[in-house]
Amino acid sequence: MGGGVIHLTVNGSEHALEMPASTTLLDLLRDRLHLTGSKECCEVGECGACTVLVDDRSVNSCLMLAVEADGNAVTTIEGLAKHGHLNRLQDAFLATGAVQCGFCIPGQVMAAQYLLQRNPHPTLLEIKEALSGNLCRCGGYEQICDAVLSASLTDG
Amino acid sequence: MIDRVGVSSRRLGGYERVTGQQQYVGDIRLEDMLHVKLVHLDCGRARIRSIDTAAAAAVYGVRCILTSADLPQPVPRFGPVYEDRPILAVGETKYHGQPVAAVAAESKEAAEAAIELVHVDFEELPGVYTVAAALDPASPLVQEPELRPHDPLNRTNVLRERHYGWGKVDAARADLIVENVYSFPMVTHFAIEPHGFIAAPEEDGIAVWSATQNPFQMQRIIASVLKLPISRVRVIAPDPGGAFGGKQHPKYEPLVAVLALRTGRPVRLVLTLEETFQEVRRTSCEMRVRTGFNRDGTIAFQDIESNFLMGAYADIAERVIAKSNYLACGPYRVPNARITVRALLSHTAPSTAFRGFGTPQVAWAHESQMDDAARRLGIDRVEIRLRNLARKGEAFVPDDTPADGDWPESVRKAAAAIGWGTPLAPGHGRGLAVAIKASATIGASYAIVRLHWDGSATVLTGTSDMGQGARTVLAQIAANELGILVESVRVVMGDTAAVPFDLQTSASRSTVFMGQAVLRACQDIRSQLGASETSLDDLLQSRFGMVRGEVIGVGSMRREYLPEHPLGETASFYEFSCTASEVAVDQETGEILLVRHVTVADVGKAINPQHVEGQDEGAAVMGLGHTLMEHLILDERGRIRNLGALDYRIPTSKDLPLEMSSLLVENADGPGPYGAKGAGEGGLMPTAPAIASAVTEATGVVIRELPLTPERVWQEIQRHKNGNPSEDAER
Amino acid sequence: MHPFAYARPATLSAALALLDEHGAGARVLAGGTDLVVELRNRAIRPRIVIDIKRVAELPPSIGETGDRLRISATAVMADIESDARVRAHFPALVEAASTVGSIQIRNRATLAGNICHASPAADTAPALLVYSAEVNLASVRGTRRLPLAEFFLGPGKTALKPGELVRSIDLPLVNERHGAAFARLTRRRGVDLATINLCCRVDADGRTHFAYGAVGPRPFLVADDSGLLADPKASDATRDEGLLRLLTQASPISDVRGSREYRRAMLLVMSRRALRTSIERLSAVRDFPPSAGRG
Repeated sequence: MGGGVIHLTVNGSEHALEMPASTTLLDLLRDRLHLTGSKECCEVGECGACTVLVDDRSVNSCLMLAVEADGNAVTTIEGLAKHGHLNRLQDAFLATGAVQCGFCIPGQVMAAQYLLQRNPHPTLLEIKEALSGNLCRCGGYEQICDAVLSASLTDG
Repeated sequence: MIDRVGVSSRRLGGYERVTGQQQYVGDIRLEDMLHVKLVHLDCGRARIRSIDTAAAAAVYGVRCILTSADLPQPVPRFGPVYEDRPILAVGETKYHGQPVAAVAAESKEAAEAAIELVHVDFEELPGVYTVAAALDPASPLVQEPELRPHDPLNRTNVLRERHYGWGKVDAARADLIVENVYSFPMVTHFAIEPHGFIAAPEEDGIAVWSATQNPFQMQRIIASVLKLPISRVRVIAPDPGGAFGGKQHPKYEPLVAVLALRTGRPVRLVLTLEETFQEVRRTSCEMRVRTGFNRDGTIAFQDIESNFLMGAYADIAERVIAKSNYLACGPYRVPNARITVRALLSHTAPSTAFRGFGTPQVAWAHESQMDDAARRLGIDRVEIRLRNLARKGEAFVPDDTPADGDWPESVRKAAAAIGWGTPLAPGHGRGLAVAIKASATIGASYAIVRLHWDGSATVLTGTSDMGQGARTVLAQIAANELGILVESVRVVMGDTAAVPFDLQTSASRSTVFMGQAVLRACQDIRSQLGASETSLDDLLQSRFGMVRGEVIGVGSMRREYLPEHPLGETASFYEFSCTASEVAVDQETGEILLVRHVTVADVGKAINPQHVEGQDEGAAVMGLGHTLMEHLILDERGRIRNLGALDYRIPTSKDLPLEMSSLLVENADGPGPYGAKGAGEGGLMPTAPAIASAVTEATGVVIRELPLTPERVWQEIQRHKNGNPSEDAER
Repeated sequence: MHPFAYARPATLSAALALLDEHGAGARVLAGGTDLVVELRNRAIRPRIVIDIKRVAELPPSIGETGDRLRISATAVMADIESDARVRAHFPALVEAASTVGSIQIRNRATLAGNICHASPAADTAPALLVYSAEVNLASVRGTRRLPLAEFFLGPGKTALKPGELVRSIDLPLVNERHGAAFARLTRRRGVDLATINLCCRVDADGRTHFAYGAVGPRPFLVADDSGLLADPKASDATRDEGLLRLLTQASPISDVRGSREYRRAMLLVMSRRALRTSIERLSAVRDFPPSAGRG
């Protein structure tokens, strides 16, 4: 009963943690593990700023209790670049000018990462559909979608 | 010599943003930090009878609870122009969400538990929530008369009434008079980053972290509220996660500063998204516009009565209202004009600066009028605008800055891009609209550039980079002027202790004002080094030798206050924009399909074309929001019914037009570096009238209220089918 | 959120025992996309949350059981949408499920959770109703089965008794040619809650079913046995008359998403369109029963 100790892997590192059951996965990542790349905005699963991968599936981490992630492997935006080298999505986002204020970007990149894992050669329409759960108020959708398209055409 | 400007250099700060390393204010962690939550009531206006904090104070981890009774008396009030806003509600809540108490605790959970236990005994009161109510002399007063003792209007809800005009409207002849009422709804900024505020005692003063667009104004206001000298107040402004004007002026910075000093600890308050919606919005309005036209479509007179509804505190809204209505006639030749403008108070969220600064509202009116006249006179809607647009160099507002661009060029470009005049598919329609906004009038920007002995440089600037890319643009200018690589330039922003004064980041002013300051600072460096054919490396080597050192350049741009001018100074430049739209309307459901969308921005010189395109497209998408889907819905008790992301809808990736293009006009005719003007608001301002005009062509109905939700369009189509000629467009 | 205890039982009997013990003080957690929002908004204050995702008898499965397709309580929308048998036999359910939130939501949200939340606007409900879905319930006292039409009682209210949970949802594998279409109206093209939603099914024998959501306290099913609606040669007037007769049961309200008047008008417009699509799909069905593998 109660929270108990949970074991999860975050960006390849294993953790054993205890927390109140009411802690969300987002809270755990940001406040306990200091991985502040995933953002808190709407807290109701509408904006996608908190998007992470849990066992390779994109989810809104604000809607998961941390205790549910026991035994899961979580990937956040901080886990994408390897030794400082941006992955092809991150690079494409910079190249197409998709990054304005940047607040929605970690969520957009994680949602796009999930898309390309399942569908390596999406159409623009499929990209728009796949990112429809990620709000951008700077309005940079065209350039964000171009970045995903461009990344899908790059090897690696 | 390779140009560093006019190229799409990679965004400075981009790497941090795509890796999640960028530190926004909500990501900052200080040791021993307390967490703050606010107590607010589920009603609009209410009298506070008593507040019982005993149970809340007993929650483990609670360190401090403040109500207005715990503050210095009288409770300090602040604001960028009118100092009307108290740190916490005093005696009465004046808008849905105004906090009556604040709790600081060791953890978020303790603070959240404690606010549930604060018992507020209150009595709901009737409030003012609409233009009609604000104008009604029988309505309750929003603001205590004692706050403006010498104002003859202090027993009304009119904060200010202004009159602009020229010529003789009543004597003017016209072949056609078009008179309509237009309204613009309440909408909110919804930056993806909710508001956050941190304060910490620092030595003998205070440090405040806030994603503010105006760190120096914030510094001044906090110093004034706390009665500290400016030098003992430090404002650190992390790059905002979107701002759009909603993060210009103080909100809870004074509150967290007081909490920090009371507790002796750093404190942090991060608003929920719902609380953020309750804090900032665009000024809504009703405009009665009576325009006289000659048979050839040229304007004979404009007679405008604008009633703009601010919130409970003025914030910067009166300035929004004054500035935008000053140009309510639009970018046209208007021989006679009379504009009466009222800034009205109401018991609603304080309206503040919001991208466009009142221009979307006035453009909605003046452009809809042009379309109405075009239809009635049988003149093409692009042609009627070309006949009226002020030409470059013409003073379209007497004695003020003349038109500073080739505005017809933008219109022709947009018309060509949308295929104006080519055959339309059935059920489709096209529209085109323009907007004009006066950019910064007064201003002061200072920049320091440090050229290091190895030829790299650091730029110190008070501008805020909220996504528009100021950091990159300023680096490009410095790189260009010094003849070094953009990658060698570092830009330091957002710390009043480190960077020199900047008035604010707003009004699309920074490329011009701060850009010029940076350019002049670099010119200062060059003149210190002496004009020479020698390479920069050799110059530095020979100047400093073994002892090394750096060359420090200072530059500034100022425009001073002119008391005789209605706006305090003429416009430094105009932001002129044109939007053209093609839509298809499903007449059975009222749904609008955006087929094509074109924006044209007259920018003088695009220092970073990719940034400008991103800003223009982004502005267009934001404009689609208030045009098609956004409005804050208030109930009869002044409560916002659609708080939060589930019921306040903004455009998503699936709401984009099928085709979008953002075009530029670059005639190097701006006052900024290389002939640049500002950009970033233009793509938004004419969106609504362009789309509404397209909807009218597609369906025959004219709509003068926003947003054009499927239901509203459907209602108007039904009315048209049942025969209601006064609302119809003549085909 | 208010503090609560969390349990993740490994067996169904353990889960049911906990549910029985705590009664109204317990909440079942599957996908969490509704529950966590309610917890955050303090709309509910359970003593304990019972996570059923590791219950051995409740793996996230979709499988054939005799003449029905059985969707377990923990099966998520994303997997239901992409399952070959669901796509072959229940295409309107795929249409409906793919509108539930974003991909991030659909990777967690369960069908069982959607029906237990019992929003009158639940998008999967109209499709489940026209496909005659049945709900399998379990408690310490045993199991029972209910037609879905009897499961919804009102906004947020279901026929679940204290101590009961949904074990699975069964969809009878239909043994007759039919065409079905799901339709909804929203305020924006992006992810949105439905202003109205509906599903239509036309059978080869001319029987026509409609299920409607967001226009009454619960989603409801109505049928027309006259064959007139299913007749592609029927006049617009006849068709409208038939539809209006079915729509008398609808009682839309005005709220932030739409007015009563608009909803009523759109019910007719969207019903006509869904009917037309269903008839087209029926006439396009050559191969029956459909073989899974052609999605």
